[in-house]
Amino acid sequence: MILGASGGGEAETPLRPVRVWDLPTRLVHWLIAALVPFSWWSATHDHLSWHRLSGYVLMGLLAFRLIWGVVGSSTARFSRFVAGPRTVLAYTRGRLGEGRIGHNPLGGWSVIALLTVLALQIGLGLFAVDEDAIEAGPLSKFVSFDTGRAITHWHHEIFWVLVALITVHLVAILIYTLRRKTLVGPMITGVARLSPSLAAPALASRTRVIIAAALAASLTWFVAHGLSFRT
Amino acid sequence: MMRRTALNSIVAIGLGLSASAALAGGLSGVEAAKDRQVHFKEMGKAMKTIFDQLKSGAPDQSLIKVQTALIADHAKALPSWFPADSGPSTGVKMQALPVVWTDKANFAEKAHNLQIAAAKLNAVAQAGSTAEFMPALKATGDACKSCHETFRQKDPD
Repeated sequence: MILGASGGGEAETPLRPVRVWDLPTRLVHWLIAALVPFSWWSATHDHLSWHRLSGYVLMGLLAFRLIWGVVGSSTARFSRFVAGPRTVLAYTRGRLGEGRIGHNPLGGWSVIALLTVLALQIGLGLFAVDEDAIEAGPLSKFVSFDTGRAITHWHHEIFWVLVALITVHLVAILIYTLRRKTLVGPMITGVARLSPSLAAPALASRTRVIIAAALAASLTWFVAHGLSFRT
Repeated sequence: MMRRTALNSIVAIGLGLSASAALAGGLSGVEAAKDRQVHFKEMGKAMKTIFDQLKSGAPDQSLIKVQTALIADHAKALPSWFPADSGPSTGVKMQALPVVWTDKANFAEKAHNLQIAAAKLNAVAQAGSTAEFMPALKATGDACKSCHETFRQKDPD
């Protein structure tokens, strides 16, 4: 059943606006969307200080998103959107309809894939060493020059895996748009128009946002300082 | 008789060429290219060791002195690592760009800048002058980079 889908033009039942994505999730999403291209640009234009800074911010955002996936609003939680293969298959065959809020079973795996490769990319960057060892990640002191150089090579390669996943992500958004389901609008405003039969998601409190952000920021600060409390 | 002379001449020329190759260190172009890469990696490792020591909070001064001496010595020898036959035509996988062998004046100048910076760095390190060390290290790093910008192919994206 397509009825009940957000933004559907042919809806007969009146749709109601529902806050689907909370502000932290949207902010994290758009900052990652902006900083991944910026990281690539700064690395290819020899702005390695900016590249490192961008990587740290991305690391903080990723750490927050992982924490938020456990304690955040219901639509952000991994337990709510990571589905088993049968559910994914049923969804791709159109057997599940659209009666849900948040990521669909296929999109959930897209999120997992994007976050995993982003984590890998950031993780490799921490150990990377450039050819004259002047520019290096904060954890490069734990690896040899040769290992650091090999990691840098993989840091370059994995970037293109990330680009491939982002391309799939964008193509999927385009396909849903052609099927009259807009995904971009709700990711900007947080609000989707949904069937009244769907229960609104449980949004996490501001206290949780602050605690999760503080945790993510401390972890990032610690790693950026080479796993040390010295400043 | 004539043939014999011609043959002798060829042998003589051949001997002469090998002799001059031997005088130049006896390295083939391929060997020179490979040796060069080993030397550059040694310099990279030395730089990394210095930076790792600085980050450690309790830098090992004697270890740093060994590295700055290696960098200064290597910088001195660096121009001799690029004989005419050690370019891309060797087939050795390299990031040295052909411009090394075509824009010799500019390359020599960059190498000279490194020699000055590295010698200063080593002198400062051996003297144990901590105040002057960081600026000297930065100058050496900048000399590395400034040459790489023009003469070294970037790592692939």
